[in-house]
Amino acid sequence: MLRQEHNELLTQAGAGTPMGRLFRSYWIPALLPEELPEDDCPPVRVKLLSERLIAFRDSNGRYGLMDEFCAHRGVSLWFGRNEECGLRCPYHGWKYDVTGQCIDMPSEPEQSGFASKVKLKSYPLVERGGVLWTYMGPADAQPPLPEWEFATVPAAQSFMSKRFQESNWLQALEGGIDSSHVSFLHRGDLNTDPLFKGARGNQYNLGDMRPVFEVVESPGGLYIGARRNAENDHYYWRITQWVMPSFTMIAPRGNHAVHGHFWVPIDDENCWAWSFDYHPTRVLTDEEVGAMRAGKGIHVKYGPGNYRPLANKDNDYLIDRAAQKAGRTYSGVEGISMQDASLQESMGPIVDRTKETLVSTDSGIIMARQRLLRAVKALVDEGMTPPGVDPVHQRVRSAAVILPPDQPFKDGAREALIARPGVAPAAV
Amino acid sequence: MLSESARMSSAAEARFRIQAPPPTARAVMVIPLDSGSERLVATLSARTWNGVTFLSASAAADALTDVAAADLVVMVASAGADASAAATIGEACSRRRIPTATCVIRGASASETALSSTLGQIRPWSLMVVIASDRDYVEDLLRSFR
Repeated sequence: MLRQEHNELLTQAGAGTPMGRLFRSYWIPALLPEELPEDDCPPVRVKLLSERLIAFRDSNGRYGLMDEFCAHRGVSLWFGRNEECGLRCPYHGWKYDVTGQCIDMPSEPEQSGFASKVKLKSYPLVERGGVLWTYMGPADAQPPLPEWEFATVPAAQSFMSKRFQESNWLQALEGGIDSSHVSFLHRGDLNTDPLFKGARGNQYNLGDMRPVFEVVESPGGLYIGARRNAENDHYYWRITQWVMPSFTMIAPRGNHAVHGHFWVPIDDENCWAWSFDYHPTRVLTDEEVGAMRAGKGIHVKYGPGNYRPLANKDNDYLIDRAAQKAGRTYSGVEGISMQDASLQESMGPIVDRTKETLVSTDSGIIMARQRLLRAVKALVDEGMTPPGVDPVHQRVRSAAVILPPDQPFKDGAREALIARPGVAPAAV
Repeated sequence: MLSESARMSSAAEARFRIQAPPPTARAVMVIPLDSGSERLVATLSARTWNGVTFLSASAAADALTDVAAADLVVMVASAGADASAAATIGEACSRRRIPTATCVIRGASASETALSSTLGQIRPWSLMVVIASDRDYVEDLLRSFR
């Protein structure tokens, strides 16, 4: 369990909060490029870290992310006219460029220089690897651009989606770190999902339903290893990477694409679940991309017009009790991501961790919480840059390996846990 | 009309949850495996705990019947130290179906070989292994098991 003050500290990420300051140390995913598909396209409302913002792409293709509301009388710039290198409020014509600088104030006399004194809060918005990233911290502490491998391989090797999750970010992240639920909640998908099935390593999952876990600190966060029995008294290890604050990468299966997530707070009760699939050394096939777009693997089917999953709390997640009873799914909910999200949302917007009854297999979650608490304290008290900001901490991979019984997996998989261009991932 | 899932997962409905956490009366037994971890465990035992008992390494061998009263046994080891006691403790727990977890404290000077040696001794007897560089983590772990 976690004390209430620690629960609040970890779950509140708005401006001025300690965890908010931690998140603002990093580049975080903000939008997909498809949301701003062309120059002068309509602006898009964005809420991140409890700040309401507006995103747009100007006449020269530059991206802007700034305060949603006009400095004049507080009108939402979602109604704005995106034209001639700026976003113009339709109420009185005040216009802003991508940096938030007011560049025209037609309701004032022509000679007035007052516009130059008006600037909306704005953040950089840059495209890398199929994601529009933003950094919401102090400009003088802006880190280098992200170097996650999925974002640096050629576009044809990577796929990214996002979905709206109606829970606090932390209970979503904890699901990504917690390997012990896979044998239960997702057991039906290993042999059926086209993005998982057929790998030789799956036989170890199915033959040993009680994995043993090992949690080891990494420079950026944690390695979470799940070991199962393999041949000749060896162990089959599946090693998940967690890099602060909210990146996870799951161990690969065979030659399938490797996947993982970011969870980004929208506000304290909602988050974006970003899901990537990529292969370091080959192009994703049409079948793979088709399956991802169809909501297979860690991706979802959407409702009309937005990034909210088709199966959501408003329709009881399309739960199929017959499928649950027949063993086709464990919870009755279809799809890996919605199996997770439905349960995480059922915990309530912000789960009360003072009421938990943790067990030893929750040690990964326990350690992650402590790592986050320490990082927040070091940042607030000493200005120490948190783990995960350094691009070295981002050039990582997950791994699936078979090792002798007494070998530390961090040692045995040392090379495999680093992203090496042109080198295939360690998979079984 | 909202679905039941939508209604029941709201912040408004969260107010109606039973506020008292379920009583667990969980008994956790902490056993150091070497002299280094014993010093750490002795320090922890001086603090206030609810349901956590601490053995010394020397008492562990004689107190194996005491593990029967535990819901969870947490072993603490130092990387590179002799952790052979894990087998005796682990066997006793295994016979009684008591889960075990081991926290290995890895000091900065401990080599991979030293860590490997300790892991070889504890892995057969631990359902969960944590390798931590920070000794404070042991207390964090124990405090999490309410």
